[in-house]
Amino acid sequence: MYLDALTLRHFRNYDSLSVTFSPGLNILLGENAQGKTNLLEAIYVLALARSHRTHNDHELIEWGADSAEVTGRVVKSSGTVPLALTLTKKGKKATVNHLEQPRLSSYLGQLNVVLFAPEDLNLVKGAPSARRRFVDMEFGQMSPKYLYNLTQYRAILRQRNKYLRQLHYHQAHDLVYLDVLSDQLAGFGAEIIHTRQVLLDRMMVFADHLHGEITQGKEKLTFRYVLPNELADAHTAQDLYQALLALYKKLRDREIDQSVTLAGPHRDDVTFITNGKDVSAFGSQGQQRTTALSVKLAEIELMKEQTGEYPLLLLDDVLSELDTVRQTHLLATFQSKVQTFLTTTDLSGVAEDIVHDPRIMTIADGQLTVTAPGAGHADSE
Amino acid sequence: MLQYPEPIAKLIDSYMKLPGIGEKTATRLAFFTLDMPQDDVDDFAQNLHDAKTKLHFCSICGNITDQDPCVICSDPTRDQSRILVVEQPKDIMALERMNEYHGLYHVLHGVLSPTTGKGPEDINIKSLLTRLQQHAEVKEVIIATNATPEGESTAMYLARLIKPAGIKVTRLAYGLAVGSDIEYADAMTLIKAVEGRQEM
Repeated sequence: MYLDALTLRHFRNYDSLSVTFSPGLNILLGENAQGKTNLLEAIYVLALARSHRTHNDHELIEWGADSAEVTGRVVKSSGTVPLALTLTKKGKKATVNHLEQPRLSSYLGQLNVVLFAPEDLNLVKGAPSARRRFVDMEFGQMSPKYLYNLTQYRAILRQRNKYLRQLHYHQAHDLVYLDVLSDQLAGFGAEIIHTRQVLLDRMMVFADHLHGEITQGKEKLTFRYVLPNELADAHTAQDLYQALLALYKKLRDREIDQSVTLAGPHRDDVTFITNGKDVSAFGSQGQQRTTALSVKLAEIELMKEQTGEYPLLLLDDVLSELDTVRQTHLLATFQSKVQTFLTTTDLSGVAEDIVHDPRIMTIADGQLTVTAPGAGHADSE
Repeated sequence: MLQYPEPIAKLIDSYMKLPGIGEKTATRLAFFTLDMPQDDVDDFAQNLHDAKTKLHFCSICGNITDQDPCVICSDPTRDQSRILVVEQPKDIMALERMNEYHGLYHVLHGVLSPTTGKGPEDINIKSLLTRLQQHAEVKEVIIATNATPEGESTAMYLARLIKPAGIKVTRLAYGLAVGSDIEYADAMTLIKAVEGRQEM
């Protein structure tokens, strides 16, 4: 799939913008603080109905305006789909093909994106919550059921933590109700863990292949899904459910004591291992970056496998962070099949011999000018 | 600044207490009331008053009623072996409209939700259990709480309490809305419908 056209109204520093893109490589060129990342963010918001930079939708609305609009035309193998998202201070409205979607879950998945931003280089080294967020975000785009299980799980988790707290302070006494909440949580938790394991295994195959290419066959990359020992032998969703249930029974007193749910997918982690060693503990900074890159790129292939279409690749100022070998890899592998957007302050940072005929757009103070039309695009401007 | 005379200012204030009504709508309604015939206004006032004073909850099922027990609980032709459990009195009205279910009801007045401070003692569960103890003729409890995580935990909780007594506990089915097109159904409804498919 690719994004053919994008229109913004009152989005961040864009009062009004209408732009068409190349199905191949699109370079957003400009000085700092001109709106390059805002444009990438707009594409991300159009895909996921939320921003990767803020939880607060108000920040997306141009200063002084009441609402922001992001509309786009997505071209897929099955046809062209117009998407529109209106963000107001009260909430958001999403339409697919001009039909308003009653639920956000029916909107998500229309446009898939993989974003690679400088902070993603910390994917390997950073906190477990960053890896869980990555996994949830990506798998949620591929599987509506995963997204549903996740929302249900989070809702029950909130109730259960609150109830544990009430038990702790003797405001509640009914342990049957705690069992019910544990049962429900174990049900959705088991589904989530199972999907994560299955999809991570698939992703590992792609990641290892890419990692081998980037490191010229020197390193082998594997993933390990880290969960409590009690769950290690459970391999089906049903086994996981039983094991989680038993674990909640065992942890009950501790959970009441600490007023918090101590096991489940919200506490699990993923470890990346190269040549038998945990990269986050033993890898050099360079190895950690390469691993993050392999994982992100593997995501693209996994999404293609799961949804039948390549997602868009959004690269926010990351080329400068990578050396020429990795840059070459990133662009060469995907430029013919994946629509790519990259922001940069300087074209000299882009290895010119590998990119074919990019569409270059210069951004200054919220205004965009096309400096090179790019290949494969009948330009109407 | 000129103020409205007190009677109309008070009326506007009263209308504003209703859900979804702000100052402008309240003002419009208040002026409309001034133009209404005296009889209609008297009826309106009387109805408001009666709704609050004459209605109360049925001592058996918890439904709103102007007599105790309510019409359903005091109807001997109803199937006494089934009790259908709902969250709100409004749900009973919806279920009665289908004119197919002739058993009894029980209103919980809410669902279990620790985050909003509703525990098992805060909703109408105890009276349901007492009812089941006193009426051995009840063979089935049908749980019709909403398809939300909280509705689901409440249903599971009730099942755990009632099943050991040897009473059948059932839950309403999930699936496609009748007369709807599959192409317009959302993904989760479809997943539930496929999971709950039945052999023909």
